[in-house]
Amino acid sequence: MDSSTSVALEPVLSFLAFSLSKLESGFYRIPGSAVVARYVKSSHQNDPGRTILELILVIFAIRTLLQSRTRTDRSGKHFIKFSEKEIDELVDEWVPEPLAQPLTEWEQRDLSSVPVISGPNGPKPKLLATGKIVTNLASFNFAGLAGNEKVKERALETLQKYGLGSCGPPGFYGTIDVHLDLEHDIAEFLGTEASILYSQGFSTISSVIPAFCKRGDIIVADRSVNFAIQKGILISRSTVRWFDHNDLKSLEDTLISVEKERKKRKGPLTRRFIITEGIFERDGEMVDLPKLVELKLKYKYRLILDESISFGTMGRTGRGLTELYNVPAEQIDMLVGSVANGLCSAGGFCAGSSIVVDHQRINGTSFVFSASMPALLATSGSEAIIFLRNNPSVLLNLQDNIRAIRAVLEKTEGITLLGHRASPIIHFCLRTQQQSLAVTQLTYDYEAEERILQDIVDDSIANGVLLTRAKHLRGQEMVESRPTIRIAATAALSRKEVEKAAGVVKASVTRILSKRR
Amino acid sequence: MSRPSPKLLHLTVSVPADIKGRRRSGSIVKVEEVGGRTEELLDRSAYLNINANWVNAKGAWLIHVVLVFMGKIIIDTIPGMTQQISWTLVNLIYLNLSYLMFHWVTGIPFDNELHGGAYDDLTLWEQIDDGAQYTPSKKWLFTAPILLFLASTHYTNYNPWLFAINLTALIVLAIIPKLPQLHRQRVRFLTGDASGVSTPVTPSFPRMDQNPLHATNPADAHFG
Repeated sequence: MDSSTSVALEPVLSFLAFSLSKLESGFYRIPGSAVVARYVKSSHQNDPGRTILELILVIFAIRTLLQSRTRTDRSGKHFIKFSEKEIDELVDEWVPEPLAQPLTEWEQRDLSSVPVISGPNGPKPKLLATGKIVTNLASFNFAGLAGNEKVKERALETLQKYGLGSCGPPGFYGTIDVHLDLEHDIAEFLGTEASILYSQGFSTISSVIPAFCKRGDIIVADRSVNFAIQKGILISRSTVRWFDHNDLKSLEDTLISVEKERKKRKGPLTRRFIITEGIFERDGEMVDLPKLVELKLKYKYRLILDESISFGTMGRTGRGLTELYNVPAEQIDMLVGSVANGLCSAGGFCAGSSIVVDHQRINGTSFVFSASMPALLATSGSEAIIFLRNNPSVLLNLQDNIRAIRAVLEKTEGITLLGHRASPIIHFCLRTQQQSLAVTQLTYDYEAEERILQDIVDDSIANGVLLTRAKHLRGQEMVESRPTIRIAATAALSRKEVEKAAGVVKASVTRILSKRR
Repeated sequence: MSRPSPKLLHLTVSVPADIKGRRRSGSIVKVEEVGGRTEELLDRSAYLNINANWVNAKGAWLIHVVLVFMGKIIIDTIPGMTQQISWTLVNLIYLNLSYLMFHWVTGIPFDNELHGGAYDDLTLWEQIDDGAQYTPSKKWLFTAPILLFLASTHYTNYNPWLFAINLTALIVLAIIPKLPQLHRQRVRFLTGDASGVSTPVTPSFPRMDQNPLHATNPADAHFG
């Protein structure tokens, strides 16, 4: 048996031996081969196991060296390589899209239903379309400063002295002494060390947040904060934790869980912020400031309070929630307010300690990169503060009017009033049949409710009261809220006028809702 | 989930079921991806990353050879040093130091504000060449420890233990972390659950409404 197989295999073996010797002689003819052979022989050291492992390593290394370069992280994972023919086809098929999509019927109606006012805005403006005088319950004019004679006089003086303004960034050549005066006035009014003025109310809070909160910091924010705060938080790239709307128990739970998480991960101690609004723009709820400050001190957070609605309306002289609850303004780290809403001028401010304010002079993006406000608006703001200081009775009128409006609307069938009873903005939405107030997305018809509310708004404008729906960007906000109509109470109207206007609204509501039924 | 509250405005508080990298499982070992969010990718492309660009310079390639050479000479001067121990020491020190530098430390040590912390989760290896694999510097950095190991086994005859130590150190400290499959992955042991349900854990905004018309990535929705 052995002899037969060896006989059969003999030619194969001899062929192999012949080819090997041929290879060897060929190999030694290559210059430098002797060096390689010597190297490999001395590496081998009579240990085949190690040699095999090393050989595997060498093969792996050579394979890695021969691989071609892959794409970087940011080139996107969706790169499709088209052939020339496919590219040509796509180019031929391409039809340019319009820059703006044509409006849908609803959007068209929405746009055309915005009333145009002829002449200056005020508590009783004149509509351009019909020429009728309507009661204005839509514009923010809480203390009745719109059209105030003293403010107008001062503004005209300023216009004649300074012109319209330099339109430069405040840090470059845009700051005028009247801006510094207004900043000083606001700081003195609120009782903080300093304040800084921004030229647009919306971009104030969305600049303050990224100035202090960076990636890696922790923000604990209320779910229903307004759009500007949401954008500020997005820009800041911080880690966000949300707590249930105006629920301080949920806030405390969140603060505790954040601390636990950090301890578990053994992470470093970063800056932590609580962001909430004084009076929420979305629904008029008011936050419990003393309890909030107590929580902030207990868990060592910084508080950023957005007083866009409550500054100029709450408290004895309009200083905001700090005056209302008798909390010293130093306890709030960054107090952001709106000169546009509360003082009927323009812009916003952030008040706090001088370190907070000075930091924003370089790091507040809207301060550095936007133009400063015209001088006459700054002096209007200063004049408005003087007015509020000298006429605290204005705010009592405001509260009276709020109570009057709420009293009438509460008795209206088919709607529910939202918000705190002392809040100057009053939201109401349609009352639904469902027992549970948390509506699921699938059964909810946002568009239908919006149409009904728009009908109510149009009807009451026709009857002499200017109303508005609360407008939100659908799909861009974090929490979708029900459509509401927002009434902004004002102290410029007398109680009788306000009651009459509220009566008109009530009649409109009843009329429209009964038609729908 | 949301408890019935007297406030009317909350429609949905549904927890997104899949938040990447933070599943609520209590496994012993978990491999999760870091640093892939859109905002971070955008912030990284804002400026040059000088922290990672120096490895492309020619001097940076040569310095490996020079340092190993000098290290060997210095270690050889210690009295009573045998060749085996000397080569093992050079090998291990080189592997440990390069692991520390390329695969342990994350982030950028200077000019951190330029990138806004976008590199804070990435090691130097992952920062090189913006995460592209098989680039020239990466190929060099991959071959250098292998060459060192092969040289060390050539010039000395290791006893089996030392050979095993050297080989394992090479594989664990130099080869495995450099594999492209492990790019931006982290192995975590015994992590706990994510935070409670009622306050969902999100680094960015959760998309509460499942509106099919809008992008699921909030940064995409923001940038159109």
